[in-house]
Amino acid sequence: MLKILLPSILLLPSMWLTPKKYLWTTALFYSLVIASTSLLWLALPAEIGWSFLNYFMASDPISTPLLVLTCWLLPLMILASQNHLMLEPINRQRTFISLLISLQIFLILAFSATELIMFYVMFEATLIPTLIIITRWGNQMERLNAGTYFLFYTLAGSLPLLIALLLLQNSAGTLSFFTLPYLPPTHLTLWAHKIWWVACLLAFLVKMPLYGAHLWLPKAHVEAPIAGSMVLAAVLLKLGGYGMMRILVILDPLTKELNYPFIILALWGVIMTGSICLRQTDLKALIAYSSVSHMGLVAAAILIQTPWALTGALILMIAHGLTSSALFCLANTNYERSHSRTMILARGLQTLLPLAAIWWFTATLANLALPPLPNLMGELMIITSLFNWSMWTLIMTGLGTLITAGYSLYMFLTTQRGPLPNHLISLDPSHSREHLLLTLHLLPLLLLVLKPELLWGWNA
Amino acid sequence: MLSRLPRLGLALPRSVSVLSTRFVSQSKADSAISSTAVTDPYEPVNQSGHGEVSPFAKNPDFHGFSTDPAEDERNMKVGFFLGISVALVIGGTFIHYLPDHGMRKWARREAERLIRLREKDGLPLIQENYYDASKIILPSSNED
Repeated sequence: MLKILLPSILLLPSMWLTPKKYLWTTALFYSLVIASTSLLWLALPAEIGWSFLNYFMASDPISTPLLVLTCWLLPLMILASQNHLMLEPINRQRTFISLLISLQIFLILAFSATELIMFYVMFEATLIPTLIIITRWGNQMERLNAGTYFLFYTLAGSLPLLIALLLLQNSAGTLSFFTLPYLPPTHLTLWAHKIWWVACLLAFLVKMPLYGAHLWLPKAHVEAPIAGSMVLAAVLLKLGGYGMMRILVILDPLTKELNYPFIILALWGVIMTGSICLRQTDLKALIAYSSVSHMGLVAAAILIQTPWALTGALILMIAHGLTSSALFCLANTNYERSHSRTMILARGLQTLLPLAAIWWFTATLANLALPPLPNLMGELMIITSLFNWSMWTLIMTGLGTLITAGYSLYMFLTTQRGPLPNHLISLDPSHSREHLLLTLHLLPLLLLVLKPELLWGWNA
Repeated sequence: MLSRLPRLGLALPRSVSVLSTRFVSQSKADSAISSTAVTDPYEPVNQSGHGEVSPFAKNPDFHGFSTDPAEDERNMKVGFFLGISVALVIGGTFIHYLPDHGMRKWARREAERLIRLREKDGLPLIQENYYDASKIILPSSNED
């Protein structure tokens, strides 16, 4: 555990001491070394138990894939940001990379936390670098509004969580993940307990996001620079899912009745945000709403608490992390060339950038959950477990899948197929950097087809 | 009116006395490309890649990393080697050859072994109760 955390912490001073000429090469070098070492976490000896333990950090089958995803994402963020930061003064470049690294440190600590308060502190701590990245390096004036929405939505949800955790600490004496499942059953009968249940979950539902509290997400994803969009879509949303998985252990038996409105909201959100995607003109907003749609499925699955649902949720979280991040990178390649997020301004790109079209095609197919990619496997497990829970959910999930395919194809056909617009007279060809970036997103996704048991969590 | 507040002298914080300069916008007016709405004390170093001169003009082998060709190539090599050859290929091989990830094959073998053992002894394959029923202490049936 420490062999990943300490190098990540020490990356911070090394970014300030590296000479200007080698800054990005060094950052990429070390972050890829850390990412390769993080694959060691996948050598889990036991299916259910905790591994790689120390007093404060441990990994178990649900946190390991998320930890590896976090470590994998840092080099990808560095690759993606390199171009748009080239023009900035060197100290700002160093600051930017330091923010990305500190985000990685907080995320590693959050996913490997063995104690709920530590998880909470790290959950909150990730807000600060993300806020700074969005509001300082975003490209439009709306980024200030976006940062405000992002910060206050998450904080408003998580302050009740702090109080709920402190209450629990008071009554249970400990909040360690090792002992939480073995707490004596609590008599949760009062109204106050129901409010406590909501307080425990609200922060994570806002983070996921659940459809009713999702307004921060399109703003934050769209206004953030590419690294911000990538980390938001790939990892920070999954913090919400992971938190929910951890905390629902102690919330029985209230969950059986209280989760109904949230499941309905989540499933309704799948359809609604999917429909919004069909009407989007802004490419990044389309991908952002698609994230809400996929996360709605994940939220509904985690709330019904069956083994297949949790497995499906975990698989979909990882697969969506890679896919969504890849789509944002592709949108950024468009943005860097045309300086506009409007889809129809940069259409028919398959003729101009055929190699990039391969990546667009693969990422689109992954987004619409093509078999045998893990996107489909996760979605299928979620849909079947929801159907088992109640057969009426099939209408919503089926419609949602249909709309997902619809808007993914709409995005692909608009940006890639059809005639080129008349105003595109000189676009740079795809850089090797962009090809590498997308390879490193999509090849792991394809490799996961071959060994999906890495993502199954607690199930056989 | 506000500019006369400095008459009050040291009673007011210093920032009030420079009121007149704080409200003048210093960012450049609307530019053709997306403008950063933040005051920019540094001039942008080089406008390459933003519609003026493509980096491919100076360096036909531009890989997207840096305008310095040597550093560009070094960065490209680092990225491709560590990203693909080390992380994906070597890492992928490591993951592929992990012995019995999650003890799944062991669980299967153990289950088959136990079934063979129990069938041989004529014992039931699995006990009906998960817990030992004699160890459960139920509360009395009085209202609590």
